[in-house]
Amino acid sequence: MEKFIILGERIQIMSPEVKQAFIDRDPEPILSRAKDQLAAGAHYLDLNIGPASKNGEELMVWGVKLLQENFDNVPVALDTVNAKAIEAGLAVYNRSKGKPIINSADAGDRIGMIDLAADNDAIIIALCCAAGVPKDNDERMEYCQTMLERGLSLGMEPEDLWFDPLTLVIKGMQEKQLEFLEFIRQLTDMGLNSTAGISNASNGMPDALRPLVNRILLAMAMEAGLSSVILDPGAPEIMDVVRTVNVVLGRTLYADSYLEL
Amino acid sequence: MPFKHNPQVFSSSIGETVLGTGEKALTLGGENVWSLYSFDGAVKNPPAVGIEFSDQGPDRSLPGVAAAYEGAETLAELAKKAEQVPGVQFVAFRLAGSDPNGDNESVADSVAKVKEVADAISLPLVVTGSNNIDKDAELLPKVAEALQGKNALLLNAKEENYKGIAVAAVTAYGQKVSGESAVDINLAKQLNVLFSQLGIKNENLVENLGQGVVGYGFEYIISTVERVKLAALTQNDAALQIPVISPISTEAWTVKESLATEEEIPEWGSREERGIGLEVSTAVASIAAGSNAVILMHPASVATVSKLIAELV
Repeated sequence: MEKFIILGERIQIMSPEVKQAFIDRDPEPILSRAKDQLAAGAHYLDLNIGPASKNGEELMVWGVKLLQENFDNVPVALDTVNAKAIEAGLAVYNRSKGKPIINSADAGDRIGMIDLAADNDAIIIALCCAAGVPKDNDERMEYCQTMLERGLSLGMEPEDLWFDPLTLVIKGMQEKQLEFLEFIRQLTDMGLNSTAGISNASNGMPDALRPLVNRILLAMAMEAGLSSVILDPGAPEIMDVVRTVNVVLGRTLYADSYLEL
Repeated sequence: MPFKHNPQVFSSSIGETVLGTGEKALTLGGENVWSLYSFDGAVKNPPAVGIEFSDQGPDRSLPGVAAAYEGAETLAELAKKAEQVPGVQFVAFRLAGSDPNGDNESVADSVAKVKEVADAISLPLVVTGSNNIDKDAELLPKVAEALQGKNALLLNAKEENYKGIAVAAVTAYGQKVSGESAVDINLAKQLNVLFSQLGIKNENLVENLGQGVVGYGFEYIISTVERVKLAALTQNDAALQIPVISPISTEAWTVKESLATEEEIPEWGSREERGIGLEVSTAVASIAAGSNAVILMHPASVATVSKLIAELV
């Protein structure tokens, strides 16, 4: 991809405020989070409605329309395991500012999401796992190949599959971190797009440490070739890291005010 | 194997900046292909050619120049002759007399000169100041005020004086302004960022990336222009999607190869031919690297470069 893509992660059901807003169909907290993330530099907004087994379709339609109508058809990542909800969201999605992203498929039970992406000309985030954490990169690569072949056989362009190596917590799985970076490098060497939920790595750490850890891991993953990321662009200095790495990697021409751009 | 043509047409493009008014208005930039690559895609606005003369009058020791300005004495007469030179699309007027290290003319005198030139021509006008930072900071806003309605381009807004010049030229008096950086890509971008932070849009900007002449570290200038266009077209860098203007004449006619007389160095031959050669080769190389407008002095250079552009685009 020409530029490093930021998916803003803050509209998600795990947040009590967002959850309540979904229940009440209260636009305000959602719009406020969307606005902050776009101002901070998000290109896509992730809309995580959770499993939403009861009223997922209606909720996804409400969310997609709310975001796109208020923010000039901002591109959205439709984030749920509920395929019907995704289909309903795609039906009202406006593509003028970018293709929709489906978040996400895996190589196990959720592989059908790739079919959904193929049928709807959407981008799919493809988690390189099936059940549980892959034991090594060989296993990750098998999943990646399976999903890539499925997408291609259904007529998808390879660049519309964004492979997620699965970010693992550092605290407890320290030995997996190098593997994670190596896998991004392998995807990059294959010319494939990638994405990652970087902040998962610092889960369980004291709050004071998390921003630093996220910043450093993001810089290292970008150097390995990561082509997009799912994060909170309003987190302290995280976008400064993106801008600085883009300068160091030569994606952006340096100017003294580069952090303000 | 047969040749397969893969056109390089970029999804980003250089912005357009319009100079002058009415039928003779000139649009610079707008391309989404490499310079002159008309075989890849339409070149929206071909590179433009302008002719420059200064308030010190033309160098009549050069027969070609003397012929072009024959009979013209006042600035208004000179300006009229300049715009009639075949191939000319804009007139560049240099306020050499305002230089504090030279004649140090008053701002009022310089402004009166610019006004005389502007009122005599219908082609777009480009004004070069004193090339002194403090003097230009004082002079160029007054020039901008005097040229209201002309949509002229003022060169020479530098890092040290850009603010007052840009605000006066664009915001207050509706002119166009060009940042000037001395072969420094990062500063070139920074200046454009600073303009945008003043609320000035790209459509009111041109950029002068610094100029030199072939044989004098010219490769560095070429690579700067190319790098800027690369960022603008392949990296969609909005701060660099601005037409580039290259003031060739002041460089081409101020080096030893174009100054030494035939009496001094007989084996070099005609001074006029040497200067034209330098001017043409510098201009063509600058255009090939991505420049959207060249400022030339000699009518023969104007004829040659404009013919080349017309045949290639």
